[in-house]
Amino acid sequence: MAKVSIIIPTYNVEPYLVECMDSITNQTLKDIEIICINDGSTDNSLEILKSYAEKDSRIILVDKENGGYGIGMNIGLDKATGEYVGILEPDDFVPINMYEDLYNIASKNDLDFVKADFYRFTRADDGNMNLVYNHLSKNEEDYNKVFNPSETPSAIRYIMNTWSGIYKRSFLEEHGIRHNETPGASFQDNGFWFQTFVFAKRAMILNKPYYMNRRDNPNSSVKNPQKVYCMNVEYDHIRDILMKHPDLWERFKGMYWVKKLHNYNATLNRISEEFKVEYVDRISEEFARAKTKGELDQSLFTEREWDKITLLISSPKGFYNTYVVAGASNEKLKAQLKETKKELKATKKELAKTKKQLKKVKNSVTYKIGRIFTFIPSKIKRLFKRK
Amino acid sequence: MSDIKVSVILPMYNVEKFIGQCLDSIVNQTLKEIEIICVNDGSPDNSAAIAKEYAEKYSNITVIDQENAGAGAARNNGLKHAKGEYLSFLDSDDFFEPDMLEVAYNKAKEDKADMVVFNSNQYFEDDDTYKNINWTLRYKKIPPYMPFKHRQMTDNVFKVFVGWAWDKLFSREFVEKHNLLFQEQRTSNDMLFVFSATVLAERITVVPKDKILVHQRRNNKESLSNTREQSWQCFYNALTALKERLVNENIFKELEQDYINYALHFSLWNLNTLAEPTYTTLKDKLTKEWFEELGIKGKPSTYFYDKKEYGQYEELMGN
Repeated sequence: MAKVSIIIPTYNVEPYLVECMDSITNQTLKDIEIICINDGSTDNSLEILKSYAEKDSRIILVDKENGGYGIGMNIGLDKATGEYVGILEPDDFVPINMYEDLYNIASKNDLDFVKADFYRFTRADDGNMNLVYNHLSKNEEDYNKVFNPSETPSAIRYIMNTWSGIYKRSFLEEHGIRHNETPGASFQDNGFWFQTFVFAKRAMILNKPYYMNRRDNPNSSVKNPQKVYCMNVEYDHIRDILMKHPDLWERFKGMYWVKKLHNYNATLNRISEEFKVEYVDRISEEFARAKTKGELDQSLFTEREWDKITLLISSPKGFYNTYVVAGASNEKLKAQLKETKKELKATKKELAKTKKQLKKVKNSVTYKIGRIFTFIPSKIKRLFKRK
Repeated sequence: MSDIKVSVILPMYNVEKFIGQCLDSIVNQTLKEIEIICVNDGSPDNSAAIAKEYAEKYSNITVIDQENAGAGAARNNGLKHAKGEYLSFLDSDDFFEPDMLEVAYNKAKEDKADMVVFNSNQYFEDDDTYKNINWTLRYKKIPPYMPFKHRQMTDNVFKVFVGWAWDKLFSREFVEKHNLLFQEQRTSNDMLFVFSATVLAERITVVPKDKILVHQRRNNKESLSNTREQSWQCFYNALTALKERLVNENIFKELEQDYINYALHFSLWNLNTLAEPTYTTLKDKLTKEWFEELGIKGKPSTYFYDKKEYGQYEELMGN
């Protein structure tokens, strides 16, 4: 049995795939299984994967018709035979020691999963990389110790991702943890991630960064009406899973609504203008119902968040005007301010440069001599004036 | 699989006045791959004879005779014979837009739905007017995305749709899988079926609001709604049967507050629409036994969604 199976769900990632495949085939942990799912790519992704598979017998290549992220991932999970399972997005890459380090810690501590901090990166045209360190948790004391996520609802606040760690396969199988099989890319990682946290008994997070997550494509606004409610549908799915286990739902429902609020806010920023009124109406209905059913736990929200929820429930119109319209114009003002500051900074720099030049001129011999010539006549002029 | 898209099941009891118009509007539906199963519930009038004339003319009409046992039994009887992909349970005194089945069926197929619900209005025969109503399908309380299930409803799940069957289609596979049946009693015989379906369906869809597909005839003396004087206890049987189903399906705990609120709502509606002396009979039964058995008694006022209904309950209990 391979120590780790790594699943790479691939769809039209030609420009990045070589960097990704090099990083996985060169891992210091050799006893791995690499499962590449080509989800009907229309570019050269499949050819690139094939060329790697020819050279490396550890690669299992599944070529299927395009069917969505969740279906592809689930095929990978079904095929995996390793002791642990990792997920690698084909536009990202990993340092060569990642899976060796994670596997050693996971197997030594008999973990259901281990996750590490990670980098988000962008790469400029000149090849320069911009790295941002992402901490899974804000609290240093959460790191490097075994904890029980199923009893720790607050861990749902850790940064959501499914790829910065590895999962024990028998743990995934025991709880039937899979992705939601909705079409396209529809935040199916959220459901997978939520399940790993509510079911795991032994887990660890590491304050050392490994995974390199590409952020070249800033989120473009969602114009497809079919995609507006993707996040809602994913959270409906998460709720259905939690409610199959009444004790889990009792324990996690508070955090479920915290995450929902954060994700709905993100959705509001992402969808295009024409959907926003209807979207606010819908989430107002959802939160009002949750409040009636006693599912909201005020103590889990910040004061500002609770004010926001209260307004959302009592007046979706007021919420829209305060947070969507005014919020947007705030964003615009902020952007303007930033621009002005930038200009100011440039002007200051320019000014400093001029001052420096001026100083240079002042210190020069010719200036000093000239100064003497202008000094004497002005003294004489003043003498005459006094009279 | 059978190529019948929709089986229309039509219980008939003394409807000779309407049955011709009703069958005309079904055979003239734009959706042609349908079968029409008329179940004559022992009508003493000419209903069956008229239906049989139609059956001779149209090969997709079947007439089944049964001893008078109520519309619930008639629908179950029709259900046994149905071969269609979806089931439609119509009342012979209502009438339908020609594209009702086509629009509803297409919507159901589009969303692979277990159940599709569509919009209706009321037709007042006396003055030949139509009245729009917004409580048979409360669009604001369902998500803007389809399909959905009861957990996505944002109000009492028993008040988003009405517990009658004629403004809905049900997947036959879904109905058979859950062994859904109508209650064999005079009134409130469809509520158990409809609300069990509502909470068991994984995929519910609705036809958009602007499409009104069916017209409910009102002020009609022969309609069942006016026969509750003899069957004032039927609603209680329906409520207790619904609770039993929810318990057996392991979803009672989740829906308990909705159920109890609906039980109060339905009890009061039944009470408020009854004339004396049945009114007093039911009132005594409710206050002395049923409010307690339904779980209404003893709940704090904050438990109730509708303050007016709770107010009437308090008044009835003499609090």
